[in-house]
Amino acid sequence: MKKLISFTLILIVLAACHKPYQKKVTYIATGAVSAYNLQYLDDQNELVNTEVIPQSAQDIWKYEFMSDQGEIVYINGDYKDINSALKIQLLIDGKVYKQAETTGDTIKVLVVSGVVPYE
Amino acid sequence: MCLVQISSAQESIIYGVIIDTNTNQAIERAQIVSAISGEGTISGSDGSFKLTSRLNFPVELTIDHISFVTKTLIVDSSRFIDLVIYLQPKVTYLDEITIIGKYENDKPYRSEKVTLKTIEKTNIAGIGNLLRHEPNVGGIRKGAAGIDPVVRGFKYSQLNIQINGGTKIEGGCPNRMDPAMAHMDMNDLQSITILKGPYALKYGPNFGGVINMTTHKPRFYNKFENHVDFLMGGQTNHTGFKSGLGVHGGNNVVAYYLKGNYKQYGDYKAGNDLVIPSSLEQYNVAGSIGIKPAEGHILEIGLDRSWGRNVDFPALPMDERKDDTKIFNLSYLGTDFGKRVNYIRFKVYKSYVQHEMDNKNRPFSDTVVAISNIKAINSGGRLGVNLNTFKGRLELGTDYEQISKDGVRTKYLIMQPNLPRFYEDLWNNALTKNLGVYAEWQRKFAALDFIVSLRYDYNTANSDTLIRNKPNGAPVYENDNTASTFNNISFSIGLTWHLNKYNELTFSLGRGVRSPDMTERFIILLPISYDPYDYLGNPQLKPEANNELDLGYRFNKSNIGAVDVSVFFSYVTNYITGELMPPSVVKPQTKGVLGVKKFVNIDRAWLAGFEFTYNTPIQYEWFINLNAAYTMGVNPESTQYVFENGEVIDERIINNDPLPEIPPFESNISIGYRFLNQKLIPEFNIRLVAAQNKVSEAYYEPASPGFTTLDFILTYKYNAHLKVYAGITNIFNTNYYEHLNRRIIGSESPLYEPGRMFYMNLIFNL
Repeated sequence: MKKLISFTLILIVLAACHKPYQKKVTYIATGAVSAYNLQYLDDQNELVNTEVIPQSAQDIWKYEFMSDQGEIVYINGDYKDINSALKIQLLIDGKVYKQAETTGDTIKVLVVSGVVPYE
Repeated sequence: MCLVQISSAQESIIYGVIIDTNTNQAIERAQIVSAISGEGTISGSDGSFKLTSRLNFPVELTIDHISFVTKTLIVDSSRFIDLVIYLQPKVTYLDEITIIGKYENDKPYRSEKVTLKTIEKTNIAGIGNLLRHEPNVGGIRKGAAGIDPVVRGFKYSQLNIQINGGTKIEGGCPNRMDPAMAHMDMNDLQSITILKGPYALKYGPNFGGVINMTTHKPRFYNKFENHVDFLMGGQTNHTGFKSGLGVHGGNNVVAYYLKGNYKQYGDYKAGNDLVIPSSLEQYNVAGSIGIKPAEGHILEIGLDRSWGRNVDFPALPMDERKDDTKIFNLSYLGTDFGKRVNYIRFKVYKSYVQHEMDNKNRPFSDTVVAISNIKAINSGGRLGVNLNTFKGRLELGTDYEQISKDGVRTKYLIMQPNLPRFYEDLWNNALTKNLGVYAEWQRKFAALDFIVSLRYDYNTANSDTLIRNKPNGAPVYENDNTASTFNNISFSIGLTWHLNKYNELTFSLGRGVRSPDMTERFIILLPISYDPYDYLGNPQLKPEANNELDLGYRFNKSNIGAVDVSVFFSYVTNYITGELMPPSVVKPQTKGVLGVKKFVNIDRAWLAGFEFTYNTPIQYEWFINLNAAYTMGVNPESTQYVFENGEVIDERIINNDPLPEIPPFESNISIGYRFLNQKLIPEFNIRLVAAQNKVSEAYYEPASPGFTTLDFILTYKYNAHLKVYAGITNIFNTNYYEHLNRRIIGSESPLYEPGRMFYMNLIFNL
């Protein structure tokens, strides 16, 4: 009986422990031929600003982290070179979740955002 | 229930069943002894016994059990026996219903009791959902959980909902996705009692009724014992499971109870195969320790922590993301103070709700992600002294309740550069306090039971400035006149007239006054009601009063059964409802609403209705339980706002408009048979619900069609340790919805109830 009681107590304590499901978030920026700015939410939920100088339009900038379901994911980018372009993708667990692109648009800030979906 | 059979000129056989008064469960190993001859027997695992006696009738029997109060009764064969052998638990729980004993059992007003057996055998996981099967109790469904009860047309803070006779919880959500009941796990409950009408005034301010949830409690034993309870239930459709594991035990000085529950459900399919988002995950751990330092004195300390995660509410703009609740309570009950004092009771509690909800699972979150965080704290206590005085019982007491609430909604504009966010107050450090004193005196005359109650409440409330700004900081609404104070007097009087052994008439008259609640006083521009308007709190509201009259008739005879009929009429003054504000005063802040309504008092409204129940005698193997109930409510003069292209263009007065959200006529029939000495019980439950055509024009409330559902439940008691319940609900896969179900957000579709569902519950008690 004592073993049964102990086992029961352990199960009850375990029931109180709970970890949310996580998913892999990937931001990808590509397509630019000159410098561009990115602003994104990182794994600490902080907004980070960075400037990227690509060597060619095939260069890929990438940032990956694990995120709980329901977290806001956000990245925006802009460039000043009218001959450039930008494509931003937001991947969840390796699959494209949202994306946007512009070519020669130096005014619009490209925003790709959403919420890590719940299963 | 006893049956007597004369087997020969000198020998009689008495059959019977011993039942626990509190739980309606059979009592095993009770001793049944003839007081004169000493002939005796012991009840079996199903509570049944067979006693052979050679004495002439009447025979005096003594029923004895270590955990129950000994009972003596006279068995008189000439009357073919009409005694039900219910035993009162000897253990003095800190449970309101138990300790009042016989006085409480003769209430002159209508009450319903949901027993442990009902809780164990259902597949339903939510308390509010379960209560919908009680007569004149409906529930407002907005999602997967948190069905909000409506009793005789009264709802929200018109009902006094509490745990173990005093502990209260304040939900966090302004849209009541987490009403008080949603914070309790049904598996932790031993029973639920509904006291209808404004009559039971010792439970705190009581306007339309009291719902008291009694949890499992530590039980004292003569020698140290440990027990394990285990529950596992699973179901198809709304696919998921519930489980509970508990240990309890103790000796005659210290006792404990510790339990954990976990449940998880997915979406369900309605009868038309429409998938309704309704997933949820909830778990909790609850524990309490009882100490009996001396006979007649019990101290109990309890803590309950519960968590809700990702609960879908398709009829609300948000889903529950996280709900963390803590409930602490400390109770004392003393019963050993001589003949003059029956008992002294003392209780303090604190409940703390941290509620988070968001729109992340909604299409609108593609542009704006809104997250609301609310903290709600309810703390208070109660002191009561019950005396033998004035030839009856007098209870004097005081209680206190303090509710504080604070909450913010954060909006992230996720399609804009720099991810701008802004904040809106949902509650702004709102605080209400209620101090009450009460007296209740009961006296029994030869054929008459009399009870009178009086209650005084001193209620105060205040909040930081009610303010709502636009994202650019410009004010939309501001009100710093938030303080209010009320002195409320409530009273009730009741009579039970025992016409003879089988028939009694009851009469109750009462006035219950409640102060406006936190929402009615302080809500800041949120669409929280049935209709599409932003609502604005009004700190200057007056208290609402319910003046009610109940008449009842009860009949109970062992070979015929029990009938209970009640009718009521309720005249509400200062009825609280919403009134449209001119756009020049305040503009709505929610997309899609038609305007802003402010809570106001109107002169009056009235409600009336009846309940009827019939239960066959327990002595028969077959059984039929029948109930029927109806309520209607009327606002003598309501205002309908006429709108066109999303704007209010006119208003008109409607006389005798039905009150909104009143459930229609409903009847439940349960038919079954007890096979194998009550080990195997198949049972059919039929639910007949009429169409609701008495709907509020002012609220543009749509009518709802009637429906019929059929459920089947099979109970199998393998032995004293294992019970199995298996069933099919909604056998014909009827596509239906309750009148009180809200509509799915963004559509005209009502929130349909689940279609056919198979389930099984296993219960082990060791």
